[in-house]
Amino acid sequence: MSHYLGVDLGSTTAKAVVVDDEGAIVSSATIAMGAVSRAGMEAAVARALERAGIERDALAGTVSTGYGRRLVPGAQKSFTEITCHARGTAAMVPGVRLVIDIGGQDSKAITVDADGLVDEFAMNDRCASGTGRFYEVLARAIEVDLSDLGELAMRGTQDLEVSSMCATFAETEIVSLLAQDLPIADIAASVHRAIAARTLALVAQVGRHTPVVLTGGVAKNPAAVHFLSRALGAEVQVPSEPQITGAYGAALIARDATRRGRAPVDDVADADHLFPRTDHGAHGHSCAGCDGTLVDLGRTIPVR
Amino acid sequence: MTITTDEPRKDRSRRLDVTRAGGQLITDYWEDLFTAREQGKQIVWYNGGALNPIFQAAGLAWCHGEAFSARLAAQQLEGPAQLAGAEYGYQAELCSYSRTHLGCSVLTMGADDGTESGIVGMHDQEVLAAKLPKPDFFVNNYAGCSTGQQWDGVSFRIFGKQLPIFNVSHPYLWGNKPDAGYLVGEEWEAASTYVAEQLRELIAWLETQTGRPFDWDLLSESMHYIKRAAELRREGLELTKARPAPATFWDWIASVAPINFLPGDQQLVDYFQDVRDEIQGRIDQGISAVEDEKYRLYFDGIMNWNKLGFLSRKFAEHGAAVLAGRYIQNAFWQEPQLIDPDDPIKGMAQHYLLCPTNHGAKTIDYLTLRDCEAYDIDGIVFHSTRTCRAFTGPQRLLAKSAQDKLGIPSIFFEGDVADASFYKEEILESRLVAMLESIDMKRARAS
Repeated sequence: MSHYLGVDLGSTTAKAVVVDDEGAIVSSATIAMGAVSRAGMEAAVARALERAGIERDALAGTVSTGYGRRLVPGAQKSFTEITCHARGTAAMVPGVRLVIDIGGQDSKAITVDADGLVDEFAMNDRCASGTGRFYEVLARAIEVDLSDLGELAMRGTQDLEVSSMCATFAETEIVSLLAQDLPIADIAASVHRAIAARTLALVAQVGRHTPVVLTGGVAKNPAAVHFLSRALGAEVQVPSEPQITGAYGAALIARDATRRGRAPVDDVADADHLFPRTDHGAHGHSCAGCDGTLVDLGRTIPVR
Repeated sequence: MTITTDEPRKDRSRRLDVTRAGGQLITDYWEDLFTAREQGKQIVWYNGGALNPIFQAAGLAWCHGEAFSARLAAQQLEGPAQLAGAEYGYQAELCSYSRTHLGCSVLTMGADDGTESGIVGMHDQEVLAAKLPKPDFFVNNYAGCSTGQQWDGVSFRIFGKQLPIFNVSHPYLWGNKPDAGYLVGEEWEAASTYVAEQLRELIAWLETQTGRPFDWDLLSESMHYIKRAAELRREGLELTKARPAPATFWDWIASVAPINFLPGDQQLVDYFQDVRDEIQGRIDQGISAVEDEKYRLYFDGIMNWNKLGFLSRKFAEHGAAVLAGRYIQNAFWQEPQLIDPDDPIKGMAQHYLLCPTNHGAKTIDYLTLRDCEAYDIDGIVFHSTRTCRAFTGPQRLLAKSAQDKLGIPSIFFEGDVADASFYKEEILESRLVAMLESIDMKRARAS
């Protein structure tokens, strides 16, 4: 039995999934970390391998994805999150046509065809509007644990105006609402509603298709699912492990390549030494702290 | 062994050699303009369509505001002018072409002595931005962009409302009437006549400003050369359809300035003859513009001038040959058959109307899909130019149309014509790679 590893080194979490020849998930691990953390990624990989009971050398193939995809040691090939989320989600939820992935720093709407291949996709433009970061800002402002946010929002009744596209400005709006002594459940619900509206705008770019599946860490928030479902006017399904769809897709792509007799091209091999971080110039009009595009990776050049 | 990006990646782009000669022509042009006052010439500042043949025949020196902004941005020297513009009150959401050029106006007016700047190199850049000779008058010839249409009016104000200004008005080509189409229909004919009449009024006005009769023979001669240069440019664009492509959109971007504002003369014709011949030579020798061409892309949007070399290398690095774009195929004397050198006014008016921001969605859709098919395009990259909404307005419609009618996928990235700070590398990189991956997968499935 051969095993394949998929690693999704995202902006706030590292995910690793091991699959077997049949594409079944053997093990997985998700590690919360600082932005694009090497330690977090290594911990996720080590844990997934340990749970699978195999050594790294025994892997038949490794594919990486996520912001830090080119930093994953041992990966023979990297793919974007778009491709991997579509592949992983289509395998987890056969028949899916619209994948909405809300990660820590960006959100995506991906339409997939009957074979689970990417048809169209759209990503949030430049700020963290509608991403996991937005929820973190909310939780901090109303002094609620992130894991309790969804339950609180579900209790909200009043629809308050939260119009900002920017997480930083939204925080200002939240502070203003708190200063009016409005119920925090209403504030939480209104922010969830606003985020669902942002996501709807993203979906509009690729078309509203069903069935819809929500992935990413935000999918664990029941209020996010509820308000998105209401905004879309459609049921929103959530896989049992919504955070690992990208890593799962990466593992499946590693398996697919080997099955076709074409091992992944070795474009990030020996990446252990590829962690120096380089500043790649001015970012100008970036929004401090909220711009989902500001992850500054130590870029690498593949060795052929 | 591993390598970091501290070392340059291998450049897989093969830019046309001849564009270096074009660059020298442009440098010479600007150096000549900087000393126009000393040469005893009157100077006109203008924006929009290429009025330079008229100015040439009127014996003027001409300064195209957008072109100077683009030049500063391409040299990454736009900062001081933009700061001067911001200090004067033009905020960052204003068209960065105009913001840069208006900043040049402020610096030209200010005659800064450099004593207040402590930033290394800043003073030299300010000196360059302030180098434009003051105008004697303004002419505006902008189609399809409300900012462009007001731009010279604002320059007029910066210079104290003391200098004459002439505005040419361009009807927007809605394309809604039953007989409307590209280059045909009542709307097209009426607009052509309307603008042509204004050009004749402009020429009469220039005679008043210069105190000399207009040289109609020189206009015909200039337009004869421009028509020939435009024909050669079109021949080169046709040759670019070859597979693998012998030249790219980026080569044509490097040749925008010559066709847009250099004098109509034999030198201009020679340049485009050389461009065409180098492309033909590449086809004959089997030389591709991108090493191992794998994808053929369309680029919609005005050029991000700060990033010309960077984008050329970036796309080539992925094996992507960018071949066509609205800013190249559908701009800059692109329909030379309309030009009658013996009676050039109407054909000139028509080209000013053919600015790629001056068409309704139906026509833009037709042109874009036509070129996507002609160049056998695999995907479209939309440069969502942050401060040029005139260009970006129909982009979502175009993306949807290309997907629905031709099955061509597209991506969007934000950037700007002359303000590098709006560009985010990771956004373009991740979206471009995702699109190329989806193309790969569809090809694999089809094979």
